[in-house]
Amino acid sequence: MKLNGDDVRAIAYEARLSLTNAELEGAVSYINNFLEMAGRFKELDLKNVEPFRFAESRECPLREDKPEPFAQAPDILAARCAADAGAFFKVPRIMEE
Amino acid sequence: MSNMLKMSDFTPVIGIEIHIQLKTKSKMFCACPADYSGDEPNSRICPVCMGLPGSLPVLNRAVVHQGMLAGMALNCAVQPVTFFSRKAYYYPDLPKGFQTSGCDMPIAVNGWLEIKDDAGNPKKIRIHCLHIEEDVGKLLHSASDGRLEGADASYVDYNRAGLPLAEIVSEPDVSSAREAVEYVTALRRRVRYAGASDVDLEKGMMRFDANVSMKCADGRWGRKVEVKNMNSFRALERAIEYEIKRQRKIMEDGGEVLPETRHWNDAKGVTTASRVKASARKFMMEPDLPPLVVTPDWVEEARASLPEMPNEKTARYVEDMGLSEADAAVLTDSIDVARYFEGCVDAGANPARAGNWVRTEVLRVVNEKRCGADELTVKPASLAELICRIDDGRLSTTLAKRVFEAMLDGLTVDEALKKSGAAEGEVGADALGELVRATLAANPDVVEEIKSDKLDKNTKGKKIKFLQGLVMKETRGQARPDEVSKIIESALNLR
Amino acid sequence: MRFRSMGAREIAAGVREKKFSAAEVFEECLRTATDCEDRLSALAAVTAEAGRIQAKRVDEKVAKGEDPGLLAGVPVVIKDNICANGIRTAAGSRILGDWVPPYDATAWSLLADQGAVLLGKGSMDELATGVSDGSAAAVAAGYVPFSLGSDTGGSIRLPASYCGIYGLKPTYGLVSRYGMISYGSSLDQIGPFTRSVEDMELVMRVLARHDPKDSTSVSKNEIFARRTNTLKGRRIALVKEFMDFSPTLDQITADAMKRTIRLFEESGSEVIEVSLPTVARYAAACYYTIAASEAYTNFARFDGVRCGRAAEAAGLREMFETTRSEGFDGGVKSRIIVGTYLSEPDCYEKYYVAATRVRTLIAEEFYKTFDADRIDCILQPVTPSLSGKIGELNLYTLTANVAGLPAFSLPAGLQIIGPRWSDGELLDIGLEVEKISGAPKIAYFLQRR
Repeated sequence: MKLNGDDVRAIAYEARLSLTNAELEGAVSYINNFLEMAGRFKELDLKNVEPFRFAESRECPLREDKPEPFAQAPDILAARCAADAGAFFKVPRIMEE
Repeated sequence: MSNMLKMSDFTPVIGIEIHIQLKTKSKMFCACPADYSGDEPNSRICPVCMGLPGSLPVLNRAVVHQGMLAGMALNCAVQPVTFFSRKAYYYPDLPKGFQTSGCDMPIAVNGWLEIKDDAGNPKKIRIHCLHIEEDVGKLLHSASDGRLEGADASYVDYNRAGLPLAEIVSEPDVSSAREAVEYVTALRRRVRYAGASDVDLEKGMMRFDANVSMKCADGRWGRKVEVKNMNSFRALERAIEYEIKRQRKIMEDGGEVLPETRHWNDAKGVTTASRVKASARKFMMEPDLPPLVVTPDWVEEARASLPEMPNEKTARYVEDMGLSEADAAVLTDSIDVARYFEGCVDAGANPARAGNWVRTEVLRVVNEKRCGADELTVKPASLAELICRIDDGRLSTTLAKRVFEAMLDGLTVDEALKKSGAAEGEVGADALGELVRATLAANPDVVEEIKSDKLDKNTKGKKIKFLQGLVMKETRGQARPDEVSKIIESALNLR
Repeated sequence: MRFRSMGAREIAAGVREKKFSAAEVFEECLRTATDCEDRLSALAAVTAEAGRIQAKRVDEKVAKGEDPGLLAGVPVVIKDNICANGIRTAAGSRILGDWVPPYDATAWSLLADQGAVLLGKGSMDELATGVSDGSAAAVAAGYVPFSLGSDTGGSIRLPASYCGIYGLKPTYGLVSRYGMISYGSSLDQIGPFTRSVEDMELVMRVLARHDPKDSTSVSKNEIFARRTNTLKGRRIALVKEFMDFSPTLDQITADAMKRTIRLFEESGSEVIEVSLPTVARYAAACYYTIAASEAYTNFARFDGVRCGRAAEAAGLREMFETTRSEGFDGGVKSRIIVGTYLSEPDCYEKYYVAATRVRTLIAEEFYKTFDADRIDCILQPVTPSLSGKIGELNLYTLTANVAGLPAFSLPAGLQIIGPRWSDGELLDIGLEVEKISGAPKIAYFLQRR
């Protein structure tokens, strides 16, 4: 199963990426090398194998429901703030033509 | 072909997807306060809910507990081990570029809710699953109608990002817009009863999508259409009705219904095809969170904390207390009101009268003040005291209502009585006697009826009560009703 | 230039005993760094101001008679994908723009609490998708006695090898990942670079702490309590499939392997051969599948809305696409493309789901071998080759990440891999080897004076 430049550009589009010609070449080569290597998986019978969830059996730790405001919240907002966005994060037109 | 098909040849097949904000003090994966109403935008944020590079999630125990309670309220079974997945897509309200969700392995499965179908018969709507996941930020659009279409820019507020949600997916068992509304109403009631969520629609704590398709008697089954953006029960009803009509027309004309996502436009009353096309994608396991284990002890603890559910309460009120189904339904619609009512009865009030008072006066105040019945200044025991005095005949209903108003300011029954300017039975005996004589004189035919032996005991009692009412009206409720009755009866030589 | 050859333990002891001040130490190390930087480019940023303030605080504590910590006044470099509050973090990428994190990574704050002083952020390959590491160079050249790096498929052990110093990739879950910019979340671990095993142990004692902010972090810091000081009776395994030296492998590494095997045998260890066929054949494919899937989701947040670089655009798609396309290099883009492709319904089972199961087989093969053959550790080269082709450079290192095992790289281009939580044992073994073969020296050839 080999992918070509068009295939890779289509995937890149989904990933919100555009590629230069050199990058496209690199990506095509990378993904095809990868697929060749990963093709080995079909040699194995994985029907009764559990997926690896954590390196040892471990349970999700739970936090007590205690609210604690983050002191540097204003720094987060200040980090990306278009001039006319006030207390919001601004994005341009969402709907495509 | 089309002119041979009748409306009844089409059966709507509808599934409902509901998102409910679970009731917790902090967010799902971070300690930011969950209640941000009235706060500045982007003030309840931190590196975790903002998905800043390097941040990691830590699961809030209360979210799991509330999710379990909601599931149990919907008769679901709780799964002992579940895990989280990353649902990746690109959108500005999604801080990490993926949503951490329990969708691939829901915490509660195989539930159901009973509603009445369009013919009035009981019908089970099966619930496929309930899973927990984090909410996304809120988008405000710059278009003049606030809608996404035509907006040059949008603004994101992440206060809501990371709040805990339960997503509840039903099987496509709903068959009409009316059933859909009844389903969501019943679901909302039960989830509120369980304490899992306040489910306040105005605050956006409950959102729904509907999947609508039409089955035709000739064997055709139209493709499923997802309908979004219905923000109220009424919108849900109208949107489904519209969609049913739209799909039926297409199929009647021999066409094919396109499987797509459509948005409900409440102002125009139509659904329109959404131009945003999301490609199907599978989710990877969330590597930052080990599997969630819910012990049998915890499940039992949750189950034990579930209160009596609305249908059980209704049955009990009808069977044990003799209330009508309709009255019981009003009382059990909201658990705080039901508990208030039960508090009155436990404190000695007559259930019928307590039911009336709670259904009328208490509900009125609760709606005016927009508070829970548990927040009312008049506690159930105090209302019970008031009700008992009416039953004793010491207070008329009219006076009692005035006393109740005064009690809302925090006064006891006696203080309120004084304040409303009347002690019980303040009308003097002589004045009362005069009033009774005048009333009897003004109603000779009724007096005749009572004096004759033609009436049975019940009707006689009713006639006396009628006269009593007239007298009470004259005294503006200030006389003691039992005293008035005594005077009337002795005047009529019935004693 | 007296501090340049001192280890962390010596510096901390000296500061505590008032032999010299933290400020003195910091200024000298800063001079060393600034002298060498134009040739080495080991640092993405030099944190002179912040470091001076931290050094001053340490000296104030010492003056007051308060305990300044186990790492009192020790200057440190941390890899630029590890956040320090108020200090710009770029992680080797344009995508982060001028972003300044408003919080500390737990690993850094643990060091800071023990008196460590930040000298700079280590330069690195973009978002840790490569293996070059300025933090390693900074230690080798003597800027600082130790530094922090991160290892997803070998990016601590490979640079440590090249620079001739020690590098440890801890057992997965031993060191908190909070505040480290994730690449492969189930593969990444923060670990130290040092010039002595003693320093490695000191730093690990500070770092190996359960962190409630990291749900994958485990409480196990008792594993660094003293154990046996001998190689006698140890069972060292050589993996048949990873003994392929010639002709691709560097002759130096081949010689080092022979020397080290002889060292073990002469010290009374038993050197035996084991076979790990599943690991050998499938670990790389498994690693690249999981890394790509985790990376594409971890990097999805870089869209310019909340932090970092943002492109001007009329529409949202353009903003996202331009921000990301101008912000990422080809290597990161390739990985995102693979990860995205693997989430398509047609591929999902074949690769991603398969890889999560193959991973179990790999981990089990390791566990069974350690268990059944009573192995203390596996000895192998850090890399089979110096070529850059996918799956070749890091073939021998990524196996430990896939199985979550600790791996300690020794200055000669070799590494020892142990069962989970055997980090302390690995350091013990390393210490015995160091007693015989000597500790690494500063790379003085870089020094101009």
